[in-house]
Amino acid sequence: MSRALVTAAVFVVLAALPIWLESFWLQTALFAMAAMIAAIGLSLLIGIAGQLSLAHAFFVAIGAYGYAYLAGEGVAPLLALLGAVLLAGLAGAAFSPIAGRVRGIYLGLASLGLVFLGQHILQNATGITGGYEGVAVEPFSLFGFSFSNTDPDTLVILGVPYGRLERLWYLGVVLVALAVWYGRNLVRSRPGRALATLRDSEVAAAVMGVDVVRYKAAAFTVSSMYAGLGGVLMALAFGRIVPESFGFVLSVDFLVMVVIGGAGSVGGAAAGALFVTALPLVLNHYSGSLPLLAEPGTGGVGASEFSRFIYGAAIVAVLLFARDGLAGLARRARKERVA
Amino acid sequence: MSSRLVGSVAVALALVVAACGKGGAEESGGGAGTSADTVKTGPGATADTITLGYLPDLSGVFAPNGKSQMEGANLYWDAKNKAGGICGRQIEVKVQDTGYDPQKAVAAYQQLSGDVIGLGLVLGSSIVSALLPSVESDGMFLNFAGWTSDILPAENVAIAGTTYDIEAINAVDFLMSEKGVKAGDTIGHLYFEGDYGENALKGSKFAAGKHDLKIVEQKITPADQDMTGQVSAFKKAGVKAILFSAAPPQAASLAGVAASQKLDVPIVANGPGWTPQLLKTPAAKALEANYYVVSSMAPLSVQSEGVQKFLTDYKAANPKGTPSSNGSLYAYAGAQIADAALTKACENKDLTRKGVLDALHSLNALDTGGTVAGTLDFTDPSRPPGKLVYLAKVSADAPGGLKALGEPSEAADAQGYEFK
Repeated sequence: MSRALVTAAVFVVLAALPIWLESFWLQTALFAMAAMIAAIGLSLLIGIAGQLSLAHAFFVAIGAYGYAYLAGEGVAPLLALLGAVLLAGLAGAAFSPIAGRVRGIYLGLASLGLVFLGQHILQNATGITGGYEGVAVEPFSLFGFSFSNTDPDTLVILGVPYGRLERLWYLGVVLVALAVWYGRNLVRSRPGRALATLRDSEVAAAVMGVDVVRYKAAAFTVSSMYAGLGGVLMALAFGRIVPESFGFVLSVDFLVMVVIGGAGSVGGAAAGALFVTALPLVLNHYSGSLPLLAEPGTGGVGASEFSRFIYGAAIVAVLLFARDGLAGLARRARKERVA
Repeated sequence: MSSRLVGSVAVALALVVAACGKGGAEESGGGAGTSADTVKTGPGATADTITLGYLPDLSGVFAPNGKSQMEGANLYWDAKNKAGGICGRQIEVKVQDTGYDPQKAVAAYQQLSGDVIGLGLVLGSSIVSALLPSVESDGMFLNFAGWTSDILPAENVAIAGTTYDIEAINAVDFLMSEKGVKAGDTIGHLYFEGDYGENALKGSKFAAGKHDLKIVEQKITPADQDMTGQVSAFKKAGVKAILFSAAPPQAASLAGVAASQKLDVPIVANGPGWTPQLLKTPAAKALEANYYVVSSMAPLSVQSEGVQKFLTDYKAANPKGTPSSNGSLYAYAGAQIADAALTKACENKDLTRKGVLDALHSLNALDTGGTVAGTLDFTDPSRPPGKLVYLAKVSADAPGGLKALGEPSEAADAQGYEFK
């Protein structure tokens, strides 16, 4: 009962936030939400199914460009969103025979190739991707309500004009909530336990009657669909997408999110995504008022360099002191309180 | 209990909203605020300051260039402010680092956009592409630190000079008139995948079609550092000259490898293919022998009033710095363009974003004192504002390592070139 109340209160607060968040914060939050969804997918893949993938940026790109292409061709935005997610899932399924054959670091390397393949396609398939110029992303709309600055042209709630970012905030919150809910249920369900067994010992899992190949493929597909959904939200947050946003660095960032958050934990992945995405943007935002950081353009250690240092330090700290990431820390804190 | 809690949360929220809701903050600044001197102002302009946003790359792959650009911009605006500013207002520069990452750039733009009248500098065409929808809906001008004609037509974007394709057409013209390349010959074009290289390739293909030349294309990415394979391909094809639309690391490799393979042909590069640091590489000798640069940004050895003033001021402000055409001089020229637009807008008594944009498009013969070749005409958003280019040869003795070859010029072929 009180749990439901807390959830309700959280949603009320989330629903009210755009009223006083400035556009910078909304934009940052949207990027963070997109990263959260995709990171949950990778966390399930790495933490639950035990498959290392460096191709996550590739599947995110499929989601983003898939939505931009479908919506641009006149498909209804909701269908374009579903289509993009399915497309990412299909790409994941197509790659899964490889994922079923190689393990660990070898799978990481095999999947790494996809990122570079993706970059080549994004740069050169200009008919669909627009090449280096990128493509404009049609705004999302639902039942005639557009998540953009028009349609309705002016929407004022409690004296605050609701533009594109304010409207997208709600879409983001709903999508993240769905992603968390589905992820949690998946982990606790029969297939989730089967995947965890698979991770710990394939032989044991097979003896228990788990179809190893099929489950591995399914894990990769689901994770790719998460990436696709994250990609769609990212595309909507950008308004125009360019290939540079979906490079190798993004894949590494996802890996960092999962490690910091704690592999296998849905909430941890979301927290890790928030940390990794928002940290450089927020530090940049406050670089003027933080005493140690140089103002951009004046030389010295700037916010961007500093956030990289924090990143590095956070990863080292997590690996040394909290192998199970933020999620593990939270779990231990809760246990101590109970005891 | 529970309903009381919900109730108190609701009341608290209502209070917070009433107290610190962001309101229509952006609109209130955007109204027709008329100050004492009856100049209409909007976001980014008050009675005593005008604020410009700068979005360079200070931590990504182009960080050295970005830092150099901020030196040039600060140099110009500091001097301007000392001289009384524009329209009786001081110029404030707000800088946000993009790290050459579109995501960071979009967030940084959201942070700046409410407070600035326009963007004094944005580096990277992928960044400009990502920002363009917002920039257009906010109606501000944007100084693009790049020279690609793919961005045209763009109402909001100002390019300093002419574009890579026109530079390449001029490069071919130079090769044919000065370097003995004849109809029927083969020339190589080494270029980057992406806006810069592919835009230049459009120009070289156009010129080649006009003069019955054959172009051998070699497409590379910025990650490719060793040009041995490309040089071999050029040698096999028997090229008489090489056009180069990539970055300095590739230039060093190209010139060095070509010299060692005895491929002794002129190399003509676009502006971004040169940096004075190249003279400190082992390829310096080969570069001095065969390397030329065609660009609308002035080589620093040009004896024009604007360039000389820039050089003296730069040396005074940064005794240890190295001025560069694409870095500090570009940002300096970009500031000249913004200055001209703002001054004109002030004369029109309209310092709103739209007023500045209109003022920019009314400039038909902006003279930068030679920092950008020729005069600039911003009246037609579908064409680059400049037509002329500087041709320069590598020379270790010249400032910036480039010696200008004659006055700015324009190839006859360029006049028939259609953008898009």
